[in-house]
Amino acid sequence: MTMDRRTVLGLGGAVAAGSLLAPGVYLVAAPKPPARTEVKAGRRWAMLIDVNRCSPDCRACTQACRTENNVPLFGDPERDIHWIRKVEIRDKSHKRPSITLPVLCNHCEHPPCKHVCPTAATFQRQDGLVLVDMHRCIGCRYCIIACPYKARSLVYHETHLPEGGNPKVPIRGKGVVEKCTFCVHRLDAGEEPACVEACNRDGDKGMIFGDLNDPESTIAKRVLEAKTTTIRPDLGLGPQVYYKGL
Amino acid sequence: MAWFRPVVVAMALLAVLFGGAGGPEAGASSLGSGPPGGGSQGGPQLAKAKGDACVKDRAWMRRNHMDFLKHRRDETVREGIRIRDESLLNCQSCHTSRTEFCDRCHSFVGVQPDCFHCHNYK
Repeated sequence: MTMDRRTVLGLGGAVAAGSLLAPGVYLVAAPKPPARTEVKAGRRWAMLIDVNRCSPDCRACTQACRTENNVPLFGDPERDIHWIRKVEIRDKSHKRPSITLPVLCNHCEHPPCKHVCPTAATFQRQDGLVLVDMHRCIGCRYCIIACPYKARSLVYHETHLPEGGNPKVPIRGKGVVEKCTFCVHRLDAGEEPACVEACNRDGDKGMIFGDLNDPESTIAKRVLEAKTTTIRPDLGLGPQVYYKGL
Repeated sequence: MAWFRPVVVAMALLAVLFGGAGGPEAGASSLGSGPPGGGSQGGPQLAKAKGDACVKDRAWMRRNHMDFLKHRRDETVREGIRIRDESLLNCQSCHTSRTEFCDRCHSFVGVQPDCFHCHNYK
């Protein structure tokens, strides 16, 4: 088989373009949602956040979360709802520069919020996600007190689907507790959470998401090879949001 | 026989006008006109659906759609079982207007399901 000069150059260019893409990012068309999905046991969804890459003024993840999940902002800091929020850590002695990092629900292996829930509205799915069944929640707020990560918020006001909101995610009624779901509707459709996607597209490319139980996944390899930590590991809750460089 | 022609045309027009408007499936499907199993004569007029056929037959759907959706609701939330054809989002692809489909019947029978407080349905 012979190839002319033009074909060879074109092939080389295509290979170079392919290898330039960020690792873990694939150019595929958005798939049609599968006809039927069901949770598979044995999976362990987890997130790895590289704190060194997270810049103080970037809000890609929090913005994407609000748009994707129709999380309203009421303008009252006491009652605003946050599924993911940026936290700044300052060293009081000023020896180290302050760092910022996103904090969200850690989807603990032993979730205290689930254990205190009187109506079993908070539950753990087979793949480890800790979710709230809004149809059962009575808004008692025990879970808000139990959660050490301040990941939960009570809906204090009536909410409405905002203009241009996402119709795939129902809004939450007044008087229930809501929190990050790791974008469960996207996971079930085979996509990544919106914050991770936004971070890798518009932000500092510091978030990785995947199945920790799959030894071939990027996150499993990175958690093994890099020094990572979780927030308050001493509590023994088995949080699934890992931080690198904290 | 030329005098007979306008009479024939007028009769044909009348037949088309009255026959067309009186048909049971002209433009909108009435609850009373379907097979036995749901509704009564003179029920609310529901907007005609877009697609060819519903996921279940009409009589079954009239009687059981609420259990259908509620049962799926718990399975979906707790076990992640999402069936594309049986989701509330998929209902909207054929029954495009809530006010002209769901609400007409709900207000006729006086029930107030609170699904739509949170779930989006145009």
